[in-house]
Parts: sequence; C-alpha cells; structure tokens
Amino acid sequence: MRYLLISICFIFFGCASFPKKNNFVATTLTGNISNPYFANPNQDYIYKANIEVYDNAFGGIFIVKKIGDQHHRIVFTTEMGNKLFDFTFNKDDFTVNYILDDLNKKILINVLKKDFKVLITEHLIAEKNYVITDEIIKKTSLDNKTYYYFESPEITKIIRANSHKEKVRFLFTDLNDNIAQQIEIIHSNIKLKINLKSITN
Amino acid sequence: MRKLVYILFFTVFAVQAQTPMNSTEAMTLKSKVKALATTTKTISSDFVQYKHLDFLDNDIETSGKLAFKAPDLVKWEYVAPFKYSVLFKDETLFINDEGNKSNVDIGSNKMFKQLNKLIISSVKGDMFDEAEFSIEYFHKDKNSLVYFMPKDKKFAKYIQAFHITFNSKGDVIEVKMLEPSQDYTKIVFSNKVLNQTLDNAIFTN
Repeated sequence: MRYLLISICFIFFGCASFPKKNNFVATTLTGNISNPYFANPNQDYIYKANIEVYDNAFGGIFIVKKIGDQHHRIVFTTEMGNKLFDFTFNKDDFTVNYILDDLNKKILINVLKKDFKVLITEHLIAEKNYVITDEIIKKTSLDNKTYYYFESPEITKIIRANSHKEKVRFLFTDLNDNIAQQIEIIHSNIKLKINLKSITN
Repeated sequence: MRKLVYILFFTVFAVQAQTPMNSTEAMTLKSKVKALATTTKTISSDFVQYKHLDFLDNDIETSGKLAFKAPDLVKWEYVAPFKYSVLFKDETLFINDEGNKSNVDIGSNKMFKQLNKLIISSVKGDMFDEAEFSIEYFHKDKNSLVYFMPKDKKFAKYIQAFHITFNSKGDVIEVKMLEPSQDYTKIVFSNKVLNQTLDNAIFTN
C-alpha cells in the first residue's frame, strides 16, 4: 500500500506540468515578449563560440547580422576564417547557403535551426504569465514548441520544454546595451552545449 | 562632366595599379620566391586577419603571431580579441583554445597534412605547382601579386583562389583566400623576420 502511495506520488509529480513542477505562480498578462539581442540592423554581432557535442569540443566564430525585418544571416567559421555553415532566416523561410560536407546532416541542421531561430526572433505573443521570486516568466509558442521567457526585466533565460520537462535552456548574461556578452545554449536531451562570448568591437 | 573625368581617371588608375606580367617577369619572380623559400629556415611575424563577409558592415579583425621553423614546425597564434593557437609538431595538431588544450593526430589525417603543407607554402609563397594550381602573375604598385587557383574541384569548393602579394625581395606580405561566394580571408603580415634563431619553447602548446 505504501509503495502504491509512493508510486502514485511519483506519477503525480512526474506528470505535473512544467510550470507547476518549477513552482511558477500564475499571474496576469503584462505585455508581449521583445528580444533585443540580435535586433539592431546596424550592428555586426560577432561571438567566439565553443561547441561541445558528445565528447567532441570545437571552437569558431559565430556571426549574426540582421538584414531586414525578420531577416537574419547566421554564419559560423573556424578561427582561421573557413566557413563551416551559412544560414539565412527570412520570416518563415530557412535557407542553407553553405554547409561543410562533414556537417551536412539533416538532424544537426534542424537542431541548429531551431536554436538559432530562438536567438533571433524578436517579437512573440505571451500566452500566460507566471512569477517566481522577482522574475516574470512569459509562456509563448514558436514553431509549435513551448518556450518560457524569464524577464528581470531583461531576458536572462529562455527554456524550451514539453508539457513536463525542460529540453533546451538559453542563458543570457553580462547584458550591456542590448548585447548579451555571454550566451549559453544547453540541451538536456542530447549532449550539446553551445557557448558564445561576444567579441563585437 | 567633371564627375565623368574623375571616374575615368580612377578607373584608369585602378587598372594601372594591377597589370599582368610578361612571361620573363613571371619567371624572374618565381625563381626569386623559390630561392628565398629554400634559404628560409625560420620565420617570425605578426599578422592581422580580416574576415570579409559581404553582408557585414565591417570585416572581422583578429591578430596574432606566426612562427615557422624548417622543415614543418608551425605555430599560428591569435592573441586578440581572443587567445587561440594551433601548433603543427610531430605529426600532431595541438590546439589551445583559451586554455582548453586538445590535439589531433595528423599522421592519419590527410586533410590536416594538406593544411600544414598549405600554411607553410602560402607563408613562404612557394605554391608554384602548375599541377595543383592555375597561376596568373601581376604587378601591383611596387609589389607583385600572384593568383593561385586550385585545379582540384573539391578544393576549389572551399577556396577559389589564393591571392599572394610579394614585396620586391620576393617575401610574402599578404595572403588573401577567396571563397566561391567571393567572401574572403585576408592576412597581412608585419614585423616579419627571416632566419632568426627561434627558441624551441615557442613551439610548445
């Protein structure tokens, strides 16, 4: 009987929704989401990147440029300047302008596409609001996935989760004049971690 | 009308700044570069790298130091705005990425072997291999400019051409690597010193 109770408890907590499990307290909506970190078309965004994927680690230069409204170019090169990939995001269109043959894997491209779309999407509609200590958390959807934006009041964290569990975490630190000097993208279901450090002039 | 004259003047000037060499001049340059390359036992130099991407407002500028010791020791080190170095030594590529060290066995890796060879030959400018490259020679101001276009189609997919600028001594002062997209990486050398004894300690990771 006791085991049954424990099991029921586990099932109950295991099934608890992501906000509930994390003690988010529902509150009233206070406006939509605006992500300023790659929003200035007059800025070349240049980052030194470190990528850890399974047991491999490699580095490079991560470059983002806003070309127009909802239109971004994202390029990744080695430190020595060789292009590894070159993507264009234009509204809902996504184009691979170039990718090194060794990296040309559909599954990898899809993961990167999903992650980068979060970085560059500026305006999102808040569907629900929560609070936890002094942070406001806004729930939203992007390409049919659920995201939680943590604002204090700048965006410091974004979490992609299914109804119960965290999948990807984006951390923005050392915020300065709408540039995040440090960005971390950490996947929890695959061994992938992307670390970006701004070297913008 | 005055504008047109200016445009004509600058066009003529631009064309004059880069003129093709005749075959004798090309042969002279080639032997000068080859002679210098064979007597070069060490190189140390500073460099500035400009990564040009058409859609950016400014080129991405990184800078560092290069050290070479014959026959095949090379250290390519970025100092600003981040610290990153690659060292080719004992059939191994040692990488130091802001303190995180790793290495790749190049004995078994053809691509890295080629990269090692390519860095050495482009730094010395000795890429006059007609089997591997189509080659074109130009005068550029007081210097010489040579285009090396890879013949291998797989290679040409990464780099369409190397544009190497030589000073009057036949020493490399600039290497530009053009991608098929016309984006490029330009490396400008300064404070280049040849055949000075280089301490082995430089070639450590």
